[in-house]
Amino acid sequence: MSNSIISQLVRKDFLMMRKTIMIFCLISLLAILIVSMLFGRVPGWAFINLGFTLLIAPAFTCAIVVLMRTIVMEKEKSTQIFIMSLPITVKEFTLSKLLINLPLFFALWLVITMVAFYFAFGLGVFPYGSIPFITMIFLGIFVAYISTLCAGLIYQSISVTILAMCGFELGTPAYLWIITFWEPINSHVYGPHMVWNSAAITIVATQIFAAISMVLMTIYIQHKKQDFI
Amino acid sequence: MNTFDSMDLPLAIECKGISKHYPHFTLQDVDLSFEQGTVMGLVGPNGAGKSTILRIVMGLVTPDSGSVNVLGYALPKEQLAAKRNIGFVAEDMRLYETETIGFHMDFIKSIFDSWDEEYANILLRRLDLNKQQKVKGMSHGQRVKTTLLLTLARRPNLLVFDEPTTGLDPAVRKEVLDEMMNSLEDETHSILFSSHNTLDVEQISDYITFIYGGRIIESRNKEDFMDGWRRLRLTNLHNKSLPDLSNIKEIQQSGRLCTLTVNNYDDSIPQQFSDAGLQVDAIERLTLEEIFLGNVHCAKANNNKEAAL
Repeated sequence: MSNSIISQLVRKDFLMMRKTIMIFCLISLLAILIVSMLFGRVPGWAFINLGFTLLIAPAFTCAIVVLMRTIVMEKEKSTQIFIMSLPITVKEFTLSKLLINLPLFFALWLVITMVAFYFAFGLGVFPYGSIPFITMIFLGIFVAYISTLCAGLIYQSISVTILAMCGFELGTPAYLWIITFWEPINSHVYGPHMVWNSAAITIVATQIFAAISMVLMTIYIQHKKQDFI
Repeated sequence: MNTFDSMDLPLAIECKGISKHYPHFTLQDVDLSFEQGTVMGLVGPNGAGKSTILRIVMGLVTPDSGSVNVLGYALPKEQLAAKRNIGFVAEDMRLYETETIGFHMDFIKSIFDSWDEEYANILLRRLDLNKQQKVKGMSHGQRVKTTLLLTLARRPNLLVFDEPTTGLDPAVRKEVLDEMMNSLEDETHSILFSSHNTLDVEQISDYITFIYGGRIIESRNKEDFMDGWRRLRLTNLHNKSLPDLSNIKEIQQSGRLCTLTVNNYDDSIPQQFSDAGLQVDAIERLTLEEIFLGNVHCAKANNNKEAAL
């Protein structure tokens, strides 16, 4: 029963969001098309910045729209009482929301990461030495999304979710600044070979650990909640 | 305080000593029970704690202390099994605005094996609802009727309604109340509902519970309830003092005329006034609304006394 109700809740959210997801997928495809058209016509760093923005914007917007509508609005619009009156626990509710939001963002993130890697390294925009650096940037985006998702799930509040997004907006440049100028990373970025030194491995491992722990912590906090309405 | 100890039938709900503390409200030591096959009406002013009790019974809120047993299932531990047999409709419950009634019906159907498609279609016709209609364009009455349909068509054993008739016009109110009563098809089906509307409670309840300030003031069988309260109209010709009876809940004096509201009425009371030299002009039964107001008046007075101490 519990597995089936989780799958029914995921199915319900997917059916409700399918048009939005479809529209953003088309926008993402269009963005990829534009990036490929810009390649070779726009100078190096301008292409990198423009391409990065074009690729990440529709994917991140799609993920945030789905997060807001399936999680935050559930409480804001009082549909959560309807859902929670069904035979479901808070933990199952949380799992169902993770199962609709996480795979969606992961799929979009994977596609844009692969496209970005193709342009960056397949077409030779960046030297191979920057593979760890670019990996850290894309993993950073994933972690930022996870933190927004977890904040949304725990608080189900528009203001807290927006605050988490602001944290992402402000945190990303700061994070980029730190890793760009951190000598153990910086010294290999322009090199011809990728170097997975201890600094790079530590950052990547920390990012993966942070993402997993945030999800597990969210499930735990939700499970411990006494009142859910 | 208000457990019906003598009942032999299985209980639909049994709450013992439940308390819940919020920063600005505390539900205190609530005992509430009624047997299966009956209707319990919760009456109380805004902020009395009715919704908190209903949410505790639904497993949506966990009490700080006390035990809750619904249809034989202990909450919150066995909430899934309990919720499979409970249908909940709340005034502030909303459906998905962008979706149709049909979408919601399919969703509930996918969750409950007990979903009765034939009954759902009967309810659609009876409640004058259109499966293709989106929730967004619906009136409040249509929304309430839709949630009622979604709840009833899965044939739950216990229906919990939080202010189901609030904001409804008389025609829709009657439709909703009729369907609530129709759902009580045998002695295994029960209803627990809250309402400001004492007429609704008087109309369909077997038991009535009054709540005020997070406490249960009174909980009884409806007949006992209605029998227990009387209004006595007296004439105090010689300005005698009233007998000191604990049953007197409210006194209104206007010159020599005196109106008393009395609880736990028995036939010896008029005699005691006569013996004290007062003339009993009339003994009247009270409507539930008047009893409700009497209870609120007493509870307020008691609270003020406690605060003064």
